Amino acid sequence: MTVTKPRAGRAGSRRHGLSSRDSLVLLLLALPGIAWFLVFAYGPMVGLVVAFKAFNIRDGIFGSPWNGLANFRYFLMSGDAATIVFNTVFLNALFLGASLFAGLVLALMLNEIRGGPYRRFMQSVIFFPYFVSPIVISIMLQVILSGVGGRGGLVNNLLSVVDLPQVSWYTEAGAWPWILTIVKVWQLGGYTSVIFLAAITSISEEVYEAAAIDGASRWRMALSITVPLLLPTFAVLVVLGVGRMFFGDFATIYAIVQDNGVLFPTTDVIDTYVFRSLRMIGDFGTTAAIGLFQSVVGFVFVAAAVLVQRRFHKESSIL
Amino acid sequence: MEPFAAVSYVTVTLFGLFCLVPLWMIVAGSLTDESVLGLNGYSLFPQPFSLRAYELLFTGQSLLNGYVASLFITVVGTILSISCTAAIAWVIARRLPFISRPLTMFAYVPMLFNGGLVPFYLLVTQVLGLTNSWFAMILPLMLAPFLIFVTVSFFRQMPEEILDAARIDGAGELRIFFQIVLPLSKPILAVLGLFYAVTYWNEWFTGLLFLTDPDKFPLQLILQNLISNVTNAASLPSSAGAAMAPVYQLRFAMTVLTVGPILLAYPFAQRFFVKGITLGATKG
Repeated sequence: MTVTKPRAGRAGSRRHGLSSRDSLVLLLLALPGIAWFLVFAYGPMVGLVVAFKAFNIRDGIFGSPWNGLANFRYFLMSGDAATIVFNTVFLNALFLGASLFAGLVLALMLNEIRGGPYRRFMQSVIFFPYFVSPIVISIMLQVILSGVGGRGGLVNNLLSVVDLPQVSWYTEAGAWPWILTIVKVWQLGGYTSVIFLAAITSISEEVYEAAAIDGASRWRMALSITVPLLLPTFAVLVVLGVGRMFFGDFATIYAIVQDNGVLFPTTDVIDTYVFRSLRMIGDFGTTAAIGLFQSVVGFVFVAAAVLVQRRFHKESSIL
Repeated sequence: MEPFAAVSYVTVTLFGLFCLVPLWMIVAGSLTDESVLGLNGYSLFPQPFSLRAYELLFTGQSLLNGYVASLFITVVGTILSISCTAAIAWVIARRLPFISRPLTMFAYVPMLFNGGLVPFYLLVTQVLGLTNSWFAMILPLMLAPFLIFVTVSFFRQMPEEILDAARIDGAGELRIFFQIVLPLSKPILAVLGLFYAVTYWNEWFTGLLFLTDPDKFPLQLILQNLISNVTNAASLPSSAGAAMAPVYQLRFAMTVLTVGPILLAYPFAQRFFVKGITLGATKG
């Protein structure tokens, strides 16, 4: 970044009345952050050249020979590409839809609970799962689905109470998109409801009073006043979620599925696939190619999301 | 009571139970005797009650090592993160000509595009040589662009008169930042601290990638080892009597001790999280 010497003295706005020494001091203040961005955010972008190389550790990132698009071809020919791209988008769509719906319903219902302490208590309770680490979630899920040593588990014991057959969940690939969605609702339902509740509290009380005079029930008010007024918030969250559509939730999925290959057909997303190829096969070139493919398509999603958001809801845009 | 209100009470209470039961099963399991756990695989009530797993964990070395690692990563990481985030956010918020805008773009672009896992892996292992260092779990997470922008929007609400008054009194930029801005920004610093601290405490992905020495494993990584193989639990207490170790109970106890600090801090910290999310969601 170039530093242009600012004009000294008071120039226009009082905020701009800065000597070049002051600017330098402030730039120094930002220096650790700038250095971090250069190394950890922009450095890896340069490293993407690996995607076009037959990488080996000895020759390093820049010394390894070029091999054109071979890495990309290899990935697209492998047959995994379609599966993991589909899983990534499909799972993200499920997660987004379910957690937004749960958050919205919870917020509407929390809003009906008038007793202050009970409401605050429940809010704390349903918000807590957001802070539970993926690894801990994975351990809880094992207890519920299969018991610690693969014996029964809570769900299976409940199934046997109503005379249904036991299910070996960890070999049942078809069930996992739904199991993971329930995990996501558990993890994010409360968090999302906090966002919606914040928006609800900004709705003027007068609207509800007017509706009450007209004899509307609380349910009617929730449906005809609160929900429509929450739509902008909802739209922003949808747009943000769509922007992240191409990036899998690596932590939660990998912590739960680990290296259980039986579940890959329905749970393997780009991020877990990349991680495994890197760690197990050590194929840097192909893995980097997949990463680049993900970043580029992901960028299109994010950029589109940002544009849509700025178009329709400028005040909530980050920039 | 109106029907919708009644339905709300019931549904919210049920959802609350849905959130708590898995946690309770872990706590109950950690206090249940191994003989029952081995039979059912879980337990809803600690019966027969047993503290054996905790006794073993507190006499062994693994738990202590894990806590030292997790605390180091969390404390050092959080301090670095708060300082760097506040500093760069202030420079952006100052609206300096030729500096603030480019800096905004500079911090924004990585939210749109990133290099992916492989270049990142090569950077940390080959270029920085951080394999088996706790800093491999700290530095990559040091700045979260999203939190930078939340902080910027907080700083921009700072009353201009106070800053002007300080300038008239001859305070320099550094003095203004450290002695006026930061003391007035305690709420946002608390938000930053809590978000970063939870991130560091729960982090395990970078550990999986860059730590191979079990003595350096933070708690989450120790737990990860217990998922892939429950008999790893036998190695948690000191080697004596490891053959008879209550492996299931140990796994639960270790989980409780990992979530424990968050659970303890949660009642005090919760309102800051709510504030942080609300700030982020509505942009100040």
